[in-house]
Amino acid sequence: MSASPSHFQQKMQNPLKSLGIRKKIGDFLNNTKFLNRSLSWYVTGWRVGVFWGLIALFLPQLLNFSTNFLDQTYFAPNILLLDAILCGIYVMLALGLNIVVGYAGLLDLGYVAFFVIGSYTVAFATSGIIRNIHSQVVNIPALTFWEAIPLAALIAGFMGVLLGAPTLRLRGDYLAIVTLGFGEIVPIVIKDVPFFYGALGFQVPPAPVVNTPFGQVDFGNPLDFSAFYYLTLAVIILIVMFNILLRNSSIGRAWIAIREDELAASASGVNLVRIKLMAFGLGAAIGGIGGVFNGVMTSSISYDQFSFQVSISVLIMIVLGGIGSIPGVIVGAILLRFIDVYVISTISNMLQTNTALANPSNPFHFLVSFNLNTTKFLIFGLVLLLMIILRPQGIIPNKRRQLELKGVGLAPEELSVIGEIEREEEGSSAPPESVEGLGDI
Amino acid sequence: MAGTSKGEVLLQLKNVTKSFGGLTAVDSINLEIRKGEIFSIIGPNGAGKTTVFNLITGIYQPTSGEIIFNGSSIKNLSPDRVLRRGIARTFQNIRLFNNMTIMENAMVGQHPFIPSDLFSVTFRLPNYRAAEKKAHNRALELLAFFGSELVMRKEEYAVNLAYAVRRRLEIVRALGSRPKLLLLDEPTAGMNDAETADAIKYIQRLRQEFDLTILLIEHKLQVTMGISDRIAVLDYGKKIAEGIPADIQHNDLVIEAYLGRKVEGA
Repeated sequence: MSASPSHFQQKMQNPLKSLGIRKKIGDFLNNTKFLNRSLSWYVTGWRVGVFWGLIALFLPQLLNFSTNFLDQTYFAPNILLLDAILCGIYVMLALGLNIVVGYAGLLDLGYVAFFVIGSYTVAFATSGIIRNIHSQVVNIPALTFWEAIPLAALIAGFMGVLLGAPTLRLRGDYLAIVTLGFGEIVPIVIKDVPFFYGALGFQVPPAPVVNTPFGQVDFGNPLDFSAFYYLTLAVIILIVMFNILLRNSSIGRAWIAIREDELAASASGVNLVRIKLMAFGLGAAIGGIGGVFNGVMTSSISYDQFSFQVSISVLIMIVLGGIGSIPGVIVGAILLRFIDVYVISTISNMLQTNTALANPSNPFHFLVSFNLNTTKFLIFGLVLLLMIILRPQGIIPNKRRQLELKGVGLAPEELSVIGEIEREEEGSSAPPESVEGLGDI
Repeated sequence: MAGTSKGEVLLQLKNVTKSFGGLTAVDSINLEIRKGEIFSIIGPNGAGKTTVFNLITGIYQPTSGEIIFNGSSIKNLSPDRVLRRGIARTFQNIRLFNNMTIMENAMVGQHPFIPSDLFSVTFRLPNYRAAEKKAHNRALELLAFFGSELVMRKEEYAVNLAYAVRRRLEIVRALGSRPKLLLLDEPTAGMNDAETADAIKYIQRLRQEFDLTILLIEHKLQVTMGISDRIAVLDYGKKIAEGIPADIQHNDLVIEAYLGRKVEGA
């Protein structure tokens, strides 16, 4: 995953920089004072996090308040809250994939598999209905939604380890292909094995009503999603805390070490098998939790919701936001969902209702039937392309990644002639096929 | 310092062979490294020196033969297991974790001593915290072995270090595992004379202060002849000579391997 700077990158001037726009914005923020502080103080560091955290915390109230001055046909608070919850599910997925791709540097293109597993686990566990091999309905003791969450995490985590085990010796492209295959296999199994009701879809019972000392809280109320929204938010906060604890630990160090140099990590005492399976398992478990929330939220799940596009979307989210950076992947997930749900459909609507375009003699008349939703990956691709050119390290970059992309990640000996000679010498005594999965020495 | 010490055998290679397809990189080599000595392996390019290191540290598995460390076989162990037995190494083309800080590099070296199970880590159990703290202090001590520079720059990224300092940091990382045997793969490659002289000094200090046995691959005669107790010479994967530095310097086979065959009657 580590990128070395190409000549293209070095020569390609950042267009924003060359126009001086960034400098102008910076000057404006630095020189404008508000309450004795420059505007740049307000828009940097932890204060940004606090601001958006407060918005997230009071989102249901803000949306309700917005009905006072916004048209409810477009800005129905409950629908917007539903969007926010779905967005939160993607935030979970992005945080989970960030462990695998961002920390351990293992490219996983089949992350959707764990999303499916989580969704179906909650469906089976809370409905208490499965079918046997002859497609007859069998009742099993139903679990509550609360019990289904850890169960889904366990099952998805186990499947993650199962996927990880045969791929331990693979890296880069090869690993990507195998995980891609895994992500394709799981939905197909769901579809074609009668046990899973794949082609029929599956009804998931809504989230339960809970009695608390402060009264009843209905997490499954379709008319008011705010309880479920807060539940999603709480789980995201837990996942973030978990990620931070892992990142700043011996496990996190070992992950970064294997990403940097697998062989040197192994020679420093890192058990590659254990530490890689841990990354796969934990990433998958978080994906499974995302799946549980997805299952309950969408209430009816079927195999066709879980396409390769989900895996790709999540990967784009973390690249966009900044691989390996927790605030980065959160922002990436929110941004991509925003483009997906609002920007694309708004543009689509505008094209379809535009009176000038409706005229068949208009040369751009074909745009009326142009459904942007079917071509959204073209747009995601463009967004990603722009990002790679303008800001390859992501919106909120991880410090280390930033170093790598700036090219200082190249060790001096990699640039020197001595390094060349040494590597040639080593190559002569060890042909590449003998390397046995540990990379070239 | 020169002269054969009759200490206990720490590492023993018995008829170790490694072939890659048709190429035999290491051909039934026998070596005995005794506790406390500095043992050098020299030889022309492509002689199989680094392959011997890779065989000892578990990066390659020998095609045949036996490797015995401290009385038990370490053949077919993975690199991390070999390290846990007490063999640490550095690499010919320095393999630091460039985008980790100096401190983190030193801490990764102590990975075997810090609990890395999910439970201890997530809940920051007392044993985890104690181990982490101990590792941090030990890292500081090891960095201080090479003077104050590494300690003062401990939060900097390893990539920013000068070449000779990177070699030192790699040794710090290797020492983190409290090894009994340290393998140094060309510890002075690419260094100038002053840096080389410094490296010779610290290699000798390493042996004393950490009670180490050191096995090194080296090209510079200044280094090998100056600090080695014994030397083995490899050529085309075979051991062609072994002995104290003074003998090796006058060994005909060695001279031939480096300079070519004497012409008969010339």
